[in-house]
This record gives sequence, C-alpha cells and structure tokens, in this order.
Amino acid sequence: MSESRRDTLITAATVIAILAVWYLGAALVQAGDDPLAEAKLPFPHQVIDVIFSNTGELGEASWISLRQALIGFVIGSLVGIVFSLVMAQGEWVESAIVPFLLAGQMVPMIALVPIVQNIFQNDDVTRVFISAFITFFSVTVAVVRGLKSAPPSAYELMSSYNTGRLQRLRYLEIPAAVPMLFTGLRIAAPLSLVGSVLVDLAGAQSGLGYIMLAALTAGGPTGSMLIWGAMVILIVLGFLLAQAVVLSERIVAPWQVQMRAKGA
Amino acid sequence: MNQTEGSMAEVGTPSPAEGHDHSPVAGRPAAVSVAGVTKTFGSGASAVTALDDVSFEVPQGSFVSLLGPSGCGKSTMMRLIAGLQEPTGGTITVAGGTPDEQRRARDFGIVFQQPILFDWRTVEENVALPLQIMGKPKAERQERARELLDLVGLKDFRNHRPWQLSGGMQQRVAIARALTFAPPFLLMDEPFGALDMMTRERMQTELLSIWSRNPGTTVIFITHSISEAVLLSDRIVVMSARPGRVMKVIDVDLPRPRTDETRDTKEFVDIEAEIRQLIFSQEHR
Repeated sequence: MSESRRDTLITAATVIAILAVWYLGAALVQAGDDPLAEAKLPFPHQVIDVIFSNTGELGEASWISLRQALIGFVIGSLVGIVFSLVMAQGEWVESAIVPFLLAGQMVPMIALVPIVQNIFQNDDVTRVFISAFITFFSVTVAVVRGLKSAPPSAYELMSSYNTGRLQRLRYLEIPAAVPMLFTGLRIAAPLSLVGSVLVDLAGAQSGLGYIMLAALTAGGPTGSMLIWGAMVILIVLGFLLAQAVVLSERIVAPWQVQMRAKGA
Repeated sequence: MNQTEGSMAEVGTPSPAEGHDHSPVAGRPAAVSVAGVTKTFGSGASAVTALDDVSFEVPQGSFVSLLGPSGCGKSTMMRLIAGLQEPTGGTITVAGGTPDEQRRARDFGIVFQQPILFDWRTVEENVALPLQIMGKPKAERQERARELLDLVGLKDFRNHRPWQLSGGMQQRVAIARALTFAPPFLLMDEPFGALDMMTRERMQTELLSIWSRNPGTTVIFITHSISEAVLLSDRIVVMSARPGRVMKVIDVDLPRPRTDETRDTKEFVDIEAEIRQLIFSQEHR
C-alpha cells in the first residue's frame, strides 16, 4: 500500500515538474517582443482554458477518434493472438511469417494511411484498420515471445504426462504467455489511438486530428492553443487506455500483478 | 554393507555366493535395466559423449541414486529412463517396456532441480495438474491433491500461490504433484540442489518418510552429494565424468527407517568415506 502511494506521489511530482518546465519555457518564449509568441507556446492555463471553453467540440472529436481506435484495438488484438497461436505451432510457420511482420512494422504509417483511405473511401473504416494494424504488431510480437517463455523442464514435465499439442497449449503455453500479452496490449493501446488520430490528420473530416488541422489552418493564438489542447487530451486518453489495460490485467491475471508488487 | 562391481553380470544376477544375501534389494526383480547405454550429443568433431557404456539395474520398489560430479551425464541418464530423450546406443528396459512406452503410460513422476510450479495456479491446482490433464473429475482431483498436500505437510497452503512459498516448500509441492497420479516411478533430478544445507537435510528425511508411505514406488534419484545418496539409497550408482561411466554400483544396507541419527552412525560414515575415496582415487589417477 505504501509502495503504491509512493508511486502516486512520484507521478504527481513528475506532472508538476513538467508543468513547471512548460511554464518556464512559455515565459521565455513570450519574454521577447515576438507578436506570435503566444501562438508558438502558450501557458498551460491558457490551454486548459481553451479545452474548457470548447468541451463540446473537443469531446465529440475525441469520442470519434477514441471509438474507432478501440474497435481497431480489439480487432488487432484478436487477430494478433490468433496469429501468434498459429506461429507457435512450428518453427517453419514462424520463419515464414516473421519477415512479413518485420516488413509490416517498417511501413511508415504516414505513407500507408492515404493508400488505405483510397481503398476504403471511408474515414471510420480507415481509422479502425490503421489502429488494428498497429495493435496487431505489438500484440503478435509480444505473444509469440510469451508462448515460448516456459522453461525446457516445463516441457519435459508436460511430456511426462504424455500431453498432446493442444493440452500443452492450454495448460502451459497460453497461461505462460498472459503476462507478455498484457505487456503488448499496454504498448498497443495508446498507439492505436495515435493511429486513429493520424487518419484524422491525413484528411479525415472529423476527430481530434481534424480539429488540430483545422486549428492550424485558422492560425492565431486561439488556433495554437486548440492544437495544444487537442494534444493534451490525446496524451490523457492514451494514459487512461494504458491504465485500463493494467487494470484489466489485475482482474484477468492477478497472480502476475501480485508477483510484481512483491518484487519477486 | 555389500558391494558389487559395476558390471551387468554381477549386479544383474546376484546370488548368495557373491555376497548379496544380506542385501534386501539385490534379490528383487529389476524394474529398470540399463544395458550398455551410450549417449552422444552433436555429431562429427563437435560431438560430445555424455554417457559411455553405462549399465546398472534398479530393483523393484527400491531407492537408487545416480551419484557423480556435474557433467557425468547423470541427468541425461534420468531423461533417457523417463523417455524424454533417446539413447545413441544400448538398451533401457522399464517395467518390461521401452522408456517411451512407459512415458506414454504415464509411469513417471518427475521432480526437477527447479520446482517448475505454475504461478497462474494455486498450490492445490498445481498439485492437481497431472490429474486434470488425465481428465479426472474435479472432486477426485481436489481430494487427491489435498491428500498429498497433507502428506508433504502443506495442507494449510493449498490456496497460496507458488511464489508465496519458500524454496523448500515449493519443492515439496513439486514432490506432491509428482505423486498425485501414483506413478510406479519417481524420478528426481537433484531436487534439493537449490536448497540451503539445513533445508536440504530436513527435506531428505522428509522424502524418506513420504516414500515409506507410498510403498512400491521405485525412486531414481540424481545427486552429487555423497551423504545424500548414502542416507536415501538402497543402491548407489557411482559415476565418473566426461564421458559418464559407471565406476561402481554399491548397495547400502543401512537399516530403515533412516533418520537424522543415521548420519552419525559409524556405518554411515564408513560408507560415505569409502565412496569419497573411490571418487578421489579416480580423479587423481
């Protein structure tokens, strides 16, 4: 308990430190006689002010980006899990698939988004696809490693019970992969949101990224503050998504969390 | 104490004339026969011979230790008997069949140096794992798991997670798990090797008491500790390293039950000293 309280304090201290640096930076930028200074780096309270005076618009846009990201996250996770299970069935399957996984990860999202947009001709479907695509890689790479995380003697133990492949998966490999699965999900959750917003930025007509783009076009101090406001919302949402994964891990795999808390 | 040379003929066909009449185990039928077994890993110039012409017998219901320094192939020998690996040459007969047949028949309960307990299962669920894999109904699994946890003195810990237990307790859970399905063979690969000296000695006497309550179970125990082998075993197969060979097969006829006091008896100390001299004389040859 005291340990988790200390963690909370550390997080709070970090947030305060970042805000302090931000204030300092904004003060330095705005100290000169640059008339556009306020538009370059506004004070945090100005950004928060903008967020609260545009809650309706920002809320709606956030929900659009978030909802498609979540759908993509779920689809990408499921596909990733199924893929990993297939890959774990044999070295040759893995060797056949791994190069494509690496190649897929090398594709710059910013180049992929317009292509996908052209294919689907639909912003929502594109967002879901990109979010799923990003999630898929993080989850697949993590789960494939997790499925192989059991020590050799655990396999010998299973062999002494004369287990078949499916039983070995069920009793050993899948449960052993759960911690890595959650590690992958924790990384993928915020990234799936970034993917969704990337689609907004690439010409979608709604979402958080669309607001950023629109504010950029509008220009001026208010526009700049709106961009910053959208970014702050994005960061908070990403953080909440990661926390949601941690929370679900506590529920689904309590043994793992307790072990970490114990530091064993 | 009776001694037999490490050759098949003498160990395999004991007769009173050869001085085995005082030994309770030597007259029993062999549950495991190892005959001229070799095991080579790799091939060509990088090939490593782990076992070279190894022969010995494990009498039915006895406690046999494979004793030797690290690198003598004793763990490999256990894996060959368990049907987890195939020998390069020679034959192994287990309960009238091949090791692989007996593995498929689930004849082996194995305890490794590391307990290999699953964190996602409670202590009781870990112990019940073999029964679950064998498709036994839940009520039966629970009853049997609790029975065995009681036997190893951990019945109050059945709902704990493995990592909440000490190393000695974890290894007791592993022993309970190996015994849940009442296999005719208990194979132990340096099960107490990772434990501190005091825990280790307590576990040794505890293992003897657990074994005495599972009559008929044949135990094959891998160790590099001479005193551990002498305290536990009916028969000790002393092995030398690189390549692993049988130096001598020694029958230990210290009376049972053996307890902590056994360690202080003259007979115990004598046997221990003799084995030590045997091993060192080979090393300095």
